[in-house]
Amino acid sequence: MSLDPTGMTSAAEAVDGSGQRAATPDGKAIEGRSPWALGWQRLRRDRVAMISLVIIGLIVLMAIFAPLASTLTGHEPNEQYRQIGLSPDGLPLGPTSQFWFGTDDLGRDILVRIAFGARVSLLVGVVSTGIAVAIGVVVGLVAGFFGGIVDTVLARFVDVALTVPFLLVAIALVSITGPSLTITILVIGFFSWASVARIVRGQVLSLREREFVEAARSLGASDPRIMFVDILPNVLAPVIVYTTLLIPVVIVVQAALAYLGLGLPPPTADWGGMISDGQKYYTTAWWFIIFPGSALLLTTLAFNLFGDGVRDAFDPRADQLLK
Amino acid sequence: MSESDGSGTPKPVLSPSQDTRHDDPLLRLEHVSKSFPVQSSKLFRRGHEFVHAVDDVSLEVRPGETLGLVGETGCGKSTLARCIARLYDLSGGSITFDGKDISHLSRRGMRPLRSEIQMIFQDPYGSLNPRRRVGSIIGDPFAIHGIDSRTERKKKVQDLMERVGLNPEHYNRFPADFSGGQRQRIGTARALALRPRMVICDEPVSALDVSVQAQIINMLKDLQDDFGLTYIFISHDLSVVRHVSDRIAVMYLGHIVEVAPSAELFEKTRHPYTRALLSALPVADPDAADSRERILLVGEIPSPTNPPSGCRFHTRCPKARPDCVRTDPVLQRVLDDGAEHQTACLHPLAIDEDMSLSRPQIEDTEIDTASIPGQETNTGGSQ
Repeated sequence: MSLDPTGMTSAAEAVDGSGQRAATPDGKAIEGRSPWALGWQRLRRDRVAMISLVIIGLIVLMAIFAPLASTLTGHEPNEQYRQIGLSPDGLPLGPTSQFWFGTDDLGRDILVRIAFGARVSLLVGVVSTGIAVAIGVVVGLVAGFFGGIVDTVLARFVDVALTVPFLLVAIALVSITGPSLTITILVIGFFSWASVARIVRGQVLSLREREFVEAARSLGASDPRIMFVDILPNVLAPVIVYTTLLIPVVIVVQAALAYLGLGLPPPTADWGGMISDGQKYYTTAWWFIIFPGSALLLTTLAFNLFGDGVRDAFDPRADQLLK
Repeated sequence: MSESDGSGTPKPVLSPSQDTRHDDPLLRLEHVSKSFPVQSSKLFRRGHEFVHAVDDVSLEVRPGETLGLVGETGCGKSTLARCIARLYDLSGGSITFDGKDISHLSRRGMRPLRSEIQMIFQDPYGSLNPRRRVGSIIGDPFAIHGIDSRTERKKKVQDLMERVGLNPEHYNRFPADFSGGQRQRIGTARALALRPRMVICDEPVSALDVSVQAQIINMLKDLQDDFGLTYIFISHDLSVVRHVSDRIAVMYLGHIVEVAPSAELFEKTRHPYTRALLSALPVADPDAADSRERILLVGEIPSPTNPPSGCRFHTRCPKARPDCVRTDPVLQRVLDDGAEHQTACLHPLAIDEDMSLSRPQIEDTEIDTASIPGQETNTGGSQ
């Protein structure tokens, strides 16, 4: 999750001009900072968003270095430690010095499985959102820019995508093809683009009437150039905001599918599946459901709070208040 | 008038003085019309209502001159400008630029001509992309037409910035970092990048502070001399237009009602509408302001969806007569005017005529008559 403050570098290389603008206290001249740089600066002052960003960073690190958790604890994610990981009655063990987050019903280390589960959640969250945003942006751009018949047809597609009962279709699809990471990512991605398309289309409708679009046209710019060079940068802010808020939704949806038994085929660790398994034991082994549940909660909460911060920092209305 | 600037291809520089009067016009409009369909309601959008924004406009613009185009808001000035720049397709008529008919060129066909005809826009805030750096905005014409490498472009852009009075070091700034006047300079630099022969200035100063207006106008005049530009200068501000224009065309409801050399338009005003516009000009001297003739037009500008019959101005004209309701006057020489001075009026004003005493002599019922069925219109031709 890197929100690159594009323009920070080029802002630094801009030379000081006639001194028409005051310099900041630290002596750095305020020069040609992009709207992105300004938004990033606002975001950095938002403490909640920055804490969320740190948490997101930690979760990402956990996912990347999941094998390290395995090395440190000496426990493989799918290894069943029936001798040391289960009570003599065959029940899961609570948190101990050896199994920090306890073990599950098969004697597997919950901590290690959470670390590996983060990979699934983040991968699905990021890739599905990426697919959704890519489709949504293109559809929204084309519909808003060309209008007319194109718009009408695409708007119907959006309506269909928004009205189809997602969960039912997802369950049906997964049960036909069998659960797999690819199908999960694709299904979620293809069902989330419609609202992105709506947002983008609305913005493009107003942007294409602006004079700078007319100016580009009077210079002989082609339609694709106007769409991607002139209009796209202006819709990026709401798209980025929506993207950060879509990721947690997608993660929860993936967990929900896994919870319903449509996640990854066992024994692969994923949070939704762990919660599903854990609920059978919630009276006897609270750690079994609490730890994966907390991981899911913490992740979505961090993404949501960060998304709120991004919205506050990049919202065009906030922009106008500052003018 | 100076020579071409030396950089880029030299363009023939022609002065707007007497000796070029009989040269071929750079731009010729013949019966140009533009109408937009109106969507009255979503359910019944098949209704065939049209806004006749520009209706049967014929004009000539000579190389090197500045043609002023004035009129109230909504009279079709900007639509006409966009028709000439071919941002809109024409509904009828033809546009000839430099001897070439450009009225039906496709967008691809227009591409080479884009470097010849450029526009400066009204809104210095809206006409620059807020998310792009000034250098890339001004360099856009080069990028679009694939001219020069990146480094050459940067040098050219900085040259242009200097020409329009901007600090070239501000290359990497964003439009938001500039004032309205500076932004209009940016827009001008962009328009001049490809060394056009004709620049359409669509109210380039009306969004600016009065003190800045003068700077921008003087800059435009200097650039005209330096680059040998032909201007179409659109404004609703007659005092600005008078200052910059060699000739002035007055528009009302999509029609040209009077066209004349600047001085003559002010001295020998023929059309009652022009007179009314002139009388609304502020005068600095309070005594003169008190004594001068003031003509207050009654009513609103009629809807261009359903323009009045006959002379379009008859609903508000103090000199309206019954024949004004029936006959649409042709733009032609009236009274003892020279060939340069054309007026579309059945009852043109004599030079010393006091129009403030005139009262319309038509029945009230006739005033709002919708256009007479079967009346000649020039819309809906080629689209």
